[in-house]
Amino acid sequence: MNRPRTSTGVLPMIATVCRVMALALLRDRGAMLMIFALPPLMFFVFAEVFSGTDGDSLQLRVQVQDRVGSPTTGALAEAMVADPSLAAALLPADAPDPRRDVTTGEVDALVVIRTEPAADLGADLDAPPPIVVVSDAARGLAGPVVAARVQRLVQREFTHLGVARAAALIDALAGPYTVEQQEYLGIALEELAGEPLNDGGGASQDGLVAQETLNGVDPDRGGISYYAGAVAILFLLFSAMQGAISMIDERTSGIVDRLVATPGGYPTVVGGKALFLVGQGVVQVTLIFAFAGVFYGINWLDRFGPWLLTAVLAAATAAGLALLTASLCSSRQQAQTASSFVVLILSAIGGSMVPRFMMPEWLRELGWITPNAWAIEAWQGLLWRDASLVELAPAWIVLAAAAAIMIGLSLVRAGRQAA
Amino acid sequence: MTSSSLLVADDLAFAFAGRRVLDAVSLALSGGEIVALLGPNGAGKSTLIRLLCGRLRPETGTVRLEGHDPAESASARRRIGLVPQRIALYPHLTVRENLDVFARLAGLAGADSAEAVGRILATCDLHDVADARCSTLSGGWQRRTNIACGVVHGPELLILDEPTVGIDLPARRAIEQLLTRLAGDGMAVLMTSHDLDELGRICDRAAFLDAGQLVAEGRPETLIRQRFGEQREWSIELADWPDDALCRKLATLGLQPEDAEAPLRWRGLAEALDLDALDALPAVEWRVRRPGLEALWRDLFGRTPEADDA
Repeated sequence: MNRPRTSTGVLPMIATVCRVMALALLRDRGAMLMIFALPPLMFFVFAEVFSGTDGDSLQLRVQVQDRVGSPTTGALAEAMVADPSLAAALLPADAPDPRRDVTTGEVDALVVIRTEPAADLGADLDAPPPIVVVSDAARGLAGPVVAARVQRLVQREFTHLGVARAAALIDALAGPYTVEQQEYLGIALEELAGEPLNDGGGASQDGLVAQETLNGVDPDRGGISYYAGAVAILFLLFSAMQGAISMIDERTSGIVDRLVATPGGYPTVVGGKALFLVGQGVVQVTLIFAFAGVFYGINWLDRFGPWLLTAVLAAATAAGLALLTASLCSSRQQAQTASSFVVLILSAIGGSMVPRFMMPEWLRELGWITPNAWAIEAWQGLLWRDASLVELAPAWIVLAAAAAIMIGLSLVRAGRQAA
Repeated sequence: MTSSSLLVADDLAFAFAGRRVLDAVSLALSGGEIVALLGPNGAGKSTLIRLLCGRLRPETGTVRLEGHDPAESASARRRIGLVPQRIALYPHLTVRENLDVFARLAGLAGADSAEAVGRILATCDLHDVADARCSTLSGGWQRRTNIACGVVHGPELLILDEPTVGIDLPARRAIEQLLTRLAGDGMAVLMTSHDLDELGRICDRAAFLDAGQLVAEGRPETLIRQRFGEQREWSIELADWPDDALCRKLATLGLQPEDAEAPLRWRGLAEALDLDALDALPAVEWRVRRPGLEALWRDLFGRTPEADDA
C-alpha cells in the first residue's frame, strides 16, 4: 500500500470544498437559474413596478363621457382624449351604465362631464362641480391621480373656466363687482378662452406652491437603487440557504463521518462552504447591480470599493445565517421549512419586499435586527445619498459582526456534530 | 495484542448520559489482518469505532496507532480510512472526482492525489465506471466506490461499517475479494457486517461485544471449536405444522424450533443424530453442517442476528 504523505494544510481542503460546491451548482441547472437568473429578473419586476408608482408615470385606463354636448364640453372631452397623461377613451353620451366598467376593473377611472362649466361670472357656486372623476376604492390611487391630471389639463388649456369660477367666488364673497369691473372681467375671460395661460409646469395656478425634488431629476432612480439592494440581500439569503443545505446531506449520507478522519476535520469543510457561499453571493449581487446599471442607469461602479465591501459583508452574513440554520436542523425537509420561514420573515421586516419608509414606526425599528435592513441601508447610502465611509461604517460593522458570530457558531456546531 | 500491532486499544471505558456504553474493552489489530467486530444492536460497536477513529475520547484507557493517539494527532487520523454504512459519496460527482475530492480532503497534494486516484481505480476495478456520476451507478458499484474513497489516501487501518448491506451476491463477492486484496497489501481491516457467512469466509479474527464488554475474541475456527467441539449443526424443515407428539419427538432429538410461533424449522447441535430417526420424520429436508459464526452468535446472544445488529 502507499503510505500517507505530508498534510498540505487547510487551504487546499477549502479549495476542494469550493470545487465540490461549484460542480454541484454547475450540474444543477435549476439551482443555477435560481441563483443567477432569477435575481435580475425579480429586480426587473420590482424596478418596473416601483418606477410606475408615482403619479406622473402611472399608466391608467381612463374613459370620458360628455353628457352635455356643448362646444365647451366637447372641447374638454377632446382635450382629455388627446392629453398623453390621460389618453382617455371617449364614450358616447348615451352609453349605458358606464360606471360598471370601473367596478369590474375594465377601466381605472371614468371622467363624466355632467353640466356645462360656467365661462363667465354666472357660475352657480352651490351646484355640484361640472366634472366628476369616478374610481373604485379597490384602486385607491387611480381617482386622485386622474382628478389631478384633469385639473392640470383644465388649468392649462381651459384657464378661463377656473378664473371665471374664482371670480364668481370673489363676487359672492366681496362683491358685487361694478359694471366696469364686470366688463373688464368679461374681456379677460374671452382672451383667456382664446389663449390659455398654458403654464404647464408643476406650479399651482395661484403660484403659491411649487414642488422641488431632491437627488436628481428622476425620482424613480432612488426607488430602483433601493430595490437593487433589497432584491440582492433577499436572494443572497435564499441562495445561501440552498447551498448550506448540502451540510445536512453530508451528515445524513455519512460524508461527515468520513471527513472527521481528515486532518482539518469537518469545521474546515464548513469554513470552505462559507467561503464558497460568499463568492457565489458576490457574483450574484454583481449580476443584479450590473443589470441595474445597464438598464436603469444606476452608477454602482463609481464607488466600486465600498460597494464590493458591502457585497462581501452582506454575502458573508447570509452565508453565516444559512450555515447556522442548516447546522441547527436535523433533516433536509426541516431545513427547507426553517430557511423559507427565516428568509421570508427577515425580508418582510427588513424591507426587501416593501420599502421600510412605508412601515409603521415600531416595524421600522424592528427591521434593524435583520441583515436586510443593514445591507439595504449601506447600498442605498452608497448609491443614492453618496454617504461618506464614516456614515457607512455602522452598517458594515453590524454586518461583519453578524457574519463573524454566525459563521463562528456554525463552526463550533460542526465540530460537535462530527464527534 | 502483540508488540507489532498497528492499533492498540487498551482497557477502554466510555459512558454516555450516565449509561456505561463500553467497559474494559481491549483490542489490537495488525497490518494485513481482517477483524470482524460483532454484537447485537446497542452492544457498543459504533462507540468503539468512534473511539478508535479519535472522534471520541475514552473515560479510561488508551487508543494508540503506532504510539499516537488519533484523538490528539491529525497525522494518526490520516492513517485511518473510514467507510460508513451509508453511501458517503457526492452523487453529482463522478467516481474519479469523488476519489480526487476525498484524497485532497485527506491531505494529498495535486500530483499525489492524481497518482492515488489512478492506483485505486485499478485496485478496486473501477476503471469502467470512473467517469460516471455516482448517482447513476448501481448499488454494487456505489458500495465499491464507497470503499475506494475510504482507502484512496493510503490508510494503514481501514474501518468499514456494513460494507455489503443492500447489494446482490455477485457484488458482495467482489467486495469480499477487494477487502482480501487490501489486507493482502498490508492494510489492517476492521469491519462490522450482519452477513456472518461473509465474515466467516474472509476474517482472520472475530471480536464479540455484548453490553459494552468484549465477550469473545479470537480466530473464528478457534472460537467455534472451543465452543462446539465436535458438534455439528443439524436443521430440519418440516412439510407441515407439527402436532404435539412430533414436537416432543424433535425435542428428544435435541432440536429446538427457530421460531416458536411458527415451528416449521428446527435446529440443534449434536455430534451425531440417529439418521434413521431423522429419515422417518415428515421433513422436506434436513441438513448437517459445521457450526459457523452465526451459530456462535446464537449461542452467545440467544437469537438470530438481524441486519441492524451487525
